[in-house]
Amino acid sequence: MAVAAILALFFEYKRHAPVLRGPHLSVSARNLPYYAFCSFYRMLAAYALALIFSLVYGPTAARSRAYERVMIPAIDIAQSVPVVGFFPAAIYFFVALAHGSRLGVELAAIFLIFTSQAWNMALGVFEAIRTIPQDSIEALDAFGAGGWLKLKRLLLPACVPKLVYNSILSWVAGWYYLIACEIITVGPAHYRLPGLGSYLMEAADKGRSGELIAGLAALLAIIILMDVIVWQPLSTWAEKFRYEFAATSEPIRSLGMLEALGAVGPGITRAVRSVLIPIVNSIHRAQRATPPFNPAAYPILVRAGKALRVAAVGSVLLLTVYGLVSGVAALIRTLMQPWPAEVKRIPAATIASMLRMIAAYAISLAWTVPCAIYASESPRFARRLAPIAEIVGSVPATALFPLIVIFVIHVTGGMNLASILLILTGMQWYLLFNLLAGASQIPADLKEASRSFGLSRFATWRKLTLPAIVPSLLTGSITAWGGGWNALILSEYFVYRSKTYQVFGLGAMLDDATYRSGNGLMILLTLLSMVLVVVLLNRLMWRRLYDVATERYRMDY
Amino acid sequence: MALLELNRVSKSFTHAKGALRVLEDISFSVEEGELVAIVGPSGCGKSTMLRIINGLMPATSGQVLYRGRQVDGINRECALVFQSFALMPWLTVKANVELGLEAQGIAPAAREKRANVYIDKVGLDGFEEAYPRELSGGMKQRVGLARALAVEPRVLLMDEPFSALDALTAITLREELLDIWQARDMPVHTIIIVTHIIEEAVELADRILVLSTSPGRLVADLKVDLPRPRDRRNEGFNALTDKVFSLIEERA
Repeated sequence: MAVAAILALFFEYKRHAPVLRGPHLSVSARNLPYYAFCSFYRMLAAYALALIFSLVYGPTAARSRAYERVMIPAIDIAQSVPVVGFFPAAIYFFVALAHGSRLGVELAAIFLIFTSQAWNMALGVFEAIRTIPQDSIEALDAFGAGGWLKLKRLLLPACVPKLVYNSILSWVAGWYYLIACEIITVGPAHYRLPGLGSYLMEAADKGRSGELIAGLAALLAIIILMDVIVWQPLSTWAEKFRYEFAATSEPIRSLGMLEALGAVGPGITRAVRSVLIPIVNSIHRAQRATPPFNPAAYPILVRAGKALRVAAVGSVLLLTVYGLVSGVAALIRTLMQPWPAEVKRIPAATIASMLRMIAAYAISLAWTVPCAIYASESPRFARRLAPIAEIVGSVPATALFPLIVIFVIHVTGGMNLASILLILTGMQWYLLFNLLAGASQIPADLKEASRSFGLSRFATWRKLTLPAIVPSLLTGSITAWGGGWNALILSEYFVYRSKTYQVFGLGAMLDDATYRSGNGLMILLTLLSMVLVVVLLNRLMWRRLYDVATERYRMDY
Repeated sequence: MALLELNRVSKSFTHAKGALRVLEDISFSVEEGELVAIVGPSGCGKSTMLRIINGLMPATSGQVLYRGRQVDGINRECALVFQSFALMPWLTVKANVELGLEAQGIAPAAREKRANVYIDKVGLDGFEEAYPRELSGGMKQRVGLARALAVEPRVLLMDEPFSALDALTAITLREELLDIWQARDMPVHTIIIVTHIIEEAVELADRILVLSTSPGRLVADLKVDLPRPRDRRNEGFNALTDKVFSLIEERA
């Protein structure tokens, strides 16, 4: 309901949004650094927003059960919404907001990337704070440690490992959606966003394979550099903040040739720390130096504070009410329009799309599960696979879309296979990473017990490996399906050399309504059916399976 | 011929900064019917030694002989009991106990019958369908013990079996272990138990092997002549405990 209202509100702005032709995109390797910069700064801006958001949202949700009951399901819903579908709506909204300037498109892209990054980071912070051992909290309380000291010594450090890990995932997701945004803008939409995605699409469209490869190489270089210079040192640093006393933490993140480059990383981490620590310390010192502030001594301040709080809460409430009312009004206006005949085809289209999703899911399972099983048997294989999979998996599959589609269209002449392949690229890595993590967490003594009692390889799979990876299989499946729905929107409809290739499905219907007919009602209805299917699948199937699995296959013994 | 013989066994692990020597030049033998305790400070490689005897990992040099034949791969006449119990959390007590029997290819009916016998023996009658997470620590280790006994091994290998339990539970389980060892109808007569609790070794064992740390060397092989059942307040008991303690301390 809320989603529908927001959507309708977005589309209301469409009327005000002037048609805007973006800057001309020149496909030349010389301009590549500029495009790379454009993409990177969008990522950075969105990530900064997501970081701030998660550091505010997570601790707030962890403050009380009452907050948690509202804020965590809200994240759940936000996570299950196919972000890509909202991009056109977001463009209309932000362009209108920015009075028709190009800034609006930028804001829309940053907003979209933000939505792909923020939720899992906020959840990570929330979980980290929630799982702080009660003993540690009590120890600080017993020393009479107040708010700031508690934040500095306990809450923030506790968030670090989860936040770093989820940041890595968020960047992977962010790249995926950034490239998607940029491709969409070059393709059917009427706005242009200079960046690597649009460059790749344009190069593919013009058949310039040399430039296409240069663009892919640039993207890969940025991702590898980020991994080596930022993420690897950060994850090593984050290990210090772990609570578990895991004995078998073999370093899996090392890739021979990149180790030399990695030496740069600790330097950067040190530099960042040498800047941050004095700041944190000086705030702490300043706070200790000032005598404890007693607001009760200044009645005016107390009253002003109260008034300010009432005003703030009041204005937020008013804004929410205003937004809701105008959203519902817009929704009703949209729904009052005559319903096109296509609406009747939505159920069939949903089934067609579901079949494609199931096919892609089956292919993903068919290779990731054996991989995980083998990794659990051979630590050497696991050690080798992890860094490679990490690099390959962090390449946004959307960057390969133009290549894949053009290739498959040339070979088969149709879109069906291409569509399944594209969904696959949005699904498989989530499964692989979750399964590998699950396989690596099988306790060594359980493996030893199976060997000691002479279990055959097949019996070990049946009694140990498969049950042990069930929880991670389900977590992986839930995220994979989330990724799949997003990929679906991009994968069923493709414009190449001003010719539209499409298959029959919900994603194609949505794209068709968005880019060709511009029928707000159809966009609304297709998006809503998609959200409905996603939410229903999550509630009725995945959540339940997950609850059963975590109960039965939990690793406590 | 000794039932089990270790002949100049050494073990080292290679890691990034070279090799870590864990065991060095260990030789001893175990006769059928003996209860041998291996004690040493943590990190002396005593658990590694147990795994080498079971065949879970190969020795770097030296050999392990079982009935005069070199052990190569898992020795199916041994069964291992773990400190962490190592029960499959998703299998019931009965399914856990049947694990080794299934691996031997025993038919379901016979499997079930034998599992029930050993579940009764360790006093878990009535808990056949429970899951490990529903049991207390002591009960979990009883499952671990039943699982090992069910395969009717010649040698029972125990890796710190009572160290994760509270002291009172550990006392009860030690008494039960001795009962099982002394019972005539049990196929297992030989037990090798690894522990860092010296009193545990003195209370249970016929022989105590004392290991030093980094690398683990055999520093003493003591015969325990105290009459059974042993009393912890007995003078001889305390004298032996002190002796083992000082042996470990002077090497540490």
